[in-house]
Amino acid sequence: MTTKPKAAVSRLDPEPVPRRDWLGLGSLWAMGGALLFATLGMLKLPKAAVLASPSKKFRVALPETLPVGEAFVPAGRSVAIFKDAEGVFAVSTICTHLGCVVKPNAEGFECPCHGSRFHANGEVAKGPAPRPLPWLKVSVNGGLVQVDEGTVVPQGTKVAG
Amino acid sequence: MTPAYPQKDALRAFVEHLKSVPQRIRETAFRTGPPTTDRTRSTFVFGNVFLHLHAVRTHRWSLRWSTTAGLGIMSVSAFLITLVTGVLLMFYYKPYPEAAYQSIKDIHFVVPTGRLIRNIHRWAANVMVVAVLLHMARAFYTAAYRRPREYNWLIGIGLLVVTLGLSFTGYLLPWDQLAYWAITIGANIAQSPREVTDALGITDYFDPGGLQRLILLGSDQVGAEALIRFYLLHVMLLPLALAALMGVHFWRIRKDGGMVRPAEADAILARQRHEETYPVFTEAPAKTYQLAAIVRGRTSNVGRGPENTVPSMPHLFYAELGVLMVTALACLALALVSDAPLKELANPSVPENPAKAPWYFLGLQEMVSFSAFMGGMGIPMIVLIGLGLIPYLDRETEGTGQWFGGPGGWPLVRLSAVIGLCVPVVLESFAIRFGWLREWFPKIPQLIVTAVNPGTLLTLAYVLFSIWCIKRYQSVRAGALGLFTCFLCGFIVLTIIGTHFRGPNWMFYWSPSDWPKH
Amino acid sequence: MKRNKYLLLISSVAVFLLLCWAAVAENYLKEWRRIQATGRGEEGRIAVQLRQVVNNNLGVADRCVSCHVTMGPGEQGVRGAAVLMPHKPAVHDPAEYGCTVCHGGQGQATEKADAHGRVHFWPEPMLAKEHTYAGCGTCHATLRVPSQAQMKSAALAFERLDCYACHRLDGKGGTVRPDKGGMEGTDLSRAGMTGWDQGWHAKHEAKSAAAGAGPWKTAFRPVSSEDQALLAVFLNTRVAAPKLVAAKSVFHSSGCLGCHKVSGVGGDDGPDLSKAGYKDPGQVSFEHVPGKGEMKDWLAEHFRAPASVVVGSQMPPAPLEDSEIQQLTFYTLSLRRKELREVYLPKDRIRAVKFREREFATDGETLYGAFCAGCHGREGLGRRLPGLASFPSIANPDFLAIAPEALLKATIEQGRPGRRMPGWKREDGLRGEELSAVVGYLRSMSPAAVEADGRPPRWVSADWRSGKRIFESSCTGCHGKDGRGGEGPALNNKVLLAAATDTYLVETIRRGRRGTAMKSFLESSPVRPVLTAGDIESVVAWLRTLEGGKK
Repeated sequence: MTTKPKAAVSRLDPEPVPRRDWLGLGSLWAMGGALLFATLGMLKLPKAAVLASPSKKFRVALPETLPVGEAFVPAGRSVAIFKDAEGVFAVSTICTHLGCVVKPNAEGFECPCHGSRFHANGEVAKGPAPRPLPWLKVSVNGGLVQVDEGTVVPQGTKVAG
Repeated sequence: MTPAYPQKDALRAFVEHLKSVPQRIRETAFRTGPPTTDRTRSTFVFGNVFLHLHAVRTHRWSLRWSTTAGLGIMSVSAFLITLVTGVLLMFYYKPYPEAAYQSIKDIHFVVPTGRLIRNIHRWAANVMVVAVLLHMARAFYTAAYRRPREYNWLIGIGLLVVTLGLSFTGYLLPWDQLAYWAITIGANIAQSPREVTDALGITDYFDPGGLQRLILLGSDQVGAEALIRFYLLHVMLLPLALAALMGVHFWRIRKDGGMVRPAEADAILARQRHEETYPVFTEAPAKTYQLAAIVRGRTSNVGRGPENTVPSMPHLFYAELGVLMVTALACLALALVSDAPLKELANPSVPENPAKAPWYFLGLQEMVSFSAFMGGMGIPMIVLIGLGLIPYLDRETEGTGQWFGGPGGWPLVRLSAVIGLCVPVVLESFAIRFGWLREWFPKIPQLIVTAVNPGTLLTLAYVLFSIWCIKRYQSVRAGALGLFTCFLCGFIVLTIIGTHFRGPNWMFYWSPSDWPKH
Repeated sequence: MKRNKYLLLISSVAVFLLLCWAAVAENYLKEWRRIQATGRGEEGRIAVQLRQVVNNNLGVADRCVSCHVTMGPGEQGVRGAAVLMPHKPAVHDPAEYGCTVCHGGQGQATEKADAHGRVHFWPEPMLAKEHTYAGCGTCHATLRVPSQAQMKSAALAFERLDCYACHRLDGKGGTVRPDKGGMEGTDLSRAGMTGWDQGWHAKHEAKSAAAGAGPWKTAFRPVSSEDQALLAVFLNTRVAAPKLVAAKSVFHSSGCLGCHKVSGVGGDDGPDLSKAGYKDPGQVSFEHVPGKGEMKDWLAEHFRAPASVVVGSQMPPAPLEDSEIQQLTFYTLSLRRKELREVYLPKDRIRAVKFREREFATDGETLYGAFCAGCHGREGLGRRLPGLASFPSIANPDFLAIAPEALLKATIEQGRPGRRMPGWKREDGLRGEELSAVVGYLRSMSPAAVEADGRPPRWVSADWRSGKRIFESSCTGCHGKDGRGGEGPALNNKVLLAAATDTYLVETIRRGRRGTAMKSFLESSPVRPVLTAGDIESVVAWLRTLEGGKK
């Protein structure tokens, strides 16, 4: 075997890289896969599996003399409870726009943050709110009203009490 | 008998070495001696790990105040000031609800210099936002994004986003009413894709909005989890991201050939007299350019005379330090004049009324008051994508490095500004006076409101105007000039409306003094 | 380059100067520093430093003592600026309890405006000087406070028995007439911090017997047991914070508990008032309130005209004199019941909360005042207010003369479902004996005795159809269609119909109620026909059909 003297190669000319460097490509892909998998695992961490929020169910005594059409807002809750001839119902007071707490007024509700207005049944009257205020599940149990803030019921669901 | 190691001499040497320790430390730290000649000035720059982000020599054009107005350095300076003051605040801040509020009160009242440090931190953050925005406008109006700086423009957009993110996350930390409700609104903007998924009825299967909010807050309401997450973002993740992006940004400036300058920059400079001129490369270069030969393209000065450049040390550094101190002066003066706000302790059952975000988000908030998704995510996304695309669509060369350079030039910018100011004023006046779709047609599907509202119409008007510019001047740059100017003006108009003309319940008031008495 | 050098020079010098100014402001110009610099202790100047009182059990870290230095722990005899002076002698040493527990305000602050809470965004302004004792309400709940009338008669007894001769009270009295030779008794302005001596009468008697002559003989006479009871009531109200007790008595005589709860006692119609004293001036509207936007002005105006201050308020305005309005304001400011750790829970609060002792006296008069007077009036004459359904006059002699015991009791116990009158037999309302006490008090409001009637509760057997016709022509104007109520009371109410005897109903229509819109139907009037006894019975028969829900 004879070796031909190679033509003078500049230091600056790179060493030719073989097109199919299986070992090299394989090792790189393996590392990429492992890191990708690790990243997916790490991304899972910030999504909390259990939420620290307290129970969404609560019981409250309605004032016996709550006038028809007037909202009763239990202290510390974002729910307006109404009572009329057909029964008791609860409307969430969390604005469907950006989560501010709406205030019951004579016509319905008003949101202080971006000026959404709702009718007393939760329908949007004006402003940017995309959806009506949801009605929440209510059950009446011997003078006490139980409201489940986590369960939405169709508008118009009233529970006799 | 002579000892192998003469004790006396070793001792003397020890004493002498001891004496020369300061000098040796200086010599080993700055290996090349005092920067008095061109050569030592060069080595001073590239021999220093911090300074060598700078090129060794700087073009005179870059040093003109009108080239950059120092806005980039001002942004960095503001960042450094927030960094230092922020770390100081961390000595006392407790990231837990109520405790957070109390600790800010403590910082305000009893921590030595605490109030001043917090004020500086707050003002530097504001200065930083302003400087970053103006810096971007400068880069755009001098067409600095063009080849070869396209990628650095993208990095710059990333820096803008991270800067705004830092401001926003910092807003929650005092845990006062202002903070709590701004973050509630912000988190729900993150959730606003539901406006679309709800309308399509697919939220149960595909809920990116809910996921974003959940990851941001760590819970379904703004509470202790949200506070610690915002704290983590504010003091760790975002600063790291910012530092990394800044590193790339600066390095790319050098690699992309320094500040942008017009082709005729040398000619213009030649016409002007300078009081001090340094001879350049008076001695023959001691090294060949062999190493530089592997660098291709326009990125090096091979084959081009380094006329009109001056050593960065000290010319550039005086400019940079000057801007740093001016920024520090501005932050300090503002901090002494005005205290950072601290309202009541956060109260989740009583919203702040009006609940206003920091001023630079009030333009968004104004659009959000028509549609949460479009105003809070859709339009900002469109703007960011549009900004990112500019350098790849505008591949012209006319006007590079000149203020308002390109077809149309200043007259076009002036026209765009008028249109950019008038359209939102007209749209807003109409919406404030006559209401919007939901009031006229209560049963209208939400998707139509999401798609057709003052925010989207404004965007549409701007885009149409920009297309007209492209046709009229037969230039993409002209379109970009029109669009960018319009959006800048729209941002200003909406921000002013949101800041000054919106009161309780987001109602229109001519002045805050007309707000109902509280 | 020169420009940049100037830029650097000028900005750096400016930064340096500003920092110098900041350093001077920080180290010399702070309010508390300047105040402390004037202070001189026994060994000369006092150390100029931030001072605070920390009490983790009470959750306070009060820096008030940075200015009020001598009130802090371990400081005495500091002279200088007026604010350095020590606290007046008090049961609760500020060095232990801190300041804000009693006085309110912002303990964390070190500047006057912030600390005293007169700045915006600080929800708890300090209590004004005249309301200082409202701070007691943070921890304490005075028990068994009598009604205003009883307090008044007790105070009169003290005066009538001439206790002033020897004892001082609020700066009055205390000296036996000069011609008899002076002598002073104990100052009873505040009958001791811990209470008063239960055995005072025996001791007085013994002293009087032992003394040969002089004031003990001439000025003291044994006191009857009724008067002793009155004096006991009086002395009870003088413990600790007499003005607050008097204010609480106004609260308990104005029927506030009829709608509002305090510490779990009272009605549900209005907001719970247990923490009303902490109400944040930033969260209420001062649009229709005169004054400087302070909570006391808001409260006072709100008592005078609730609906004009709070839009949509259903609260009847308080028909009180201005001094009483001020007392009510004072008491409301004291409703700041803080959650406390066991160590600091005072006895009265434990007794009120854990052993459910009453904060009001439990005689019929006080109970009526506390629960009923708001709507039915202090005299029981009812109230008619624009915008609100009229509240019936329950002290009306025509009513009390015919109302059977069972009707009164059932009404109080079960209320009028669907109307504003709630039932009071419940956990947070009145207890067994208390209900009877209120009924007894109602009876005592009218001199007329109940007219006994031998008939069974239900004896009317007339035809309801004609009764219905008569009702529709003569009664619906006030009582509404089908007796649903209107200007006058609802008559279709199940509790009313179940408890009312036929005699009661017939007699009510026959006699009417003098002094109200309900006139006797036996007398002719220009607006309605005279009814015969038969007509009346048929109307009652028709009313009876409303009871079962079917006609």
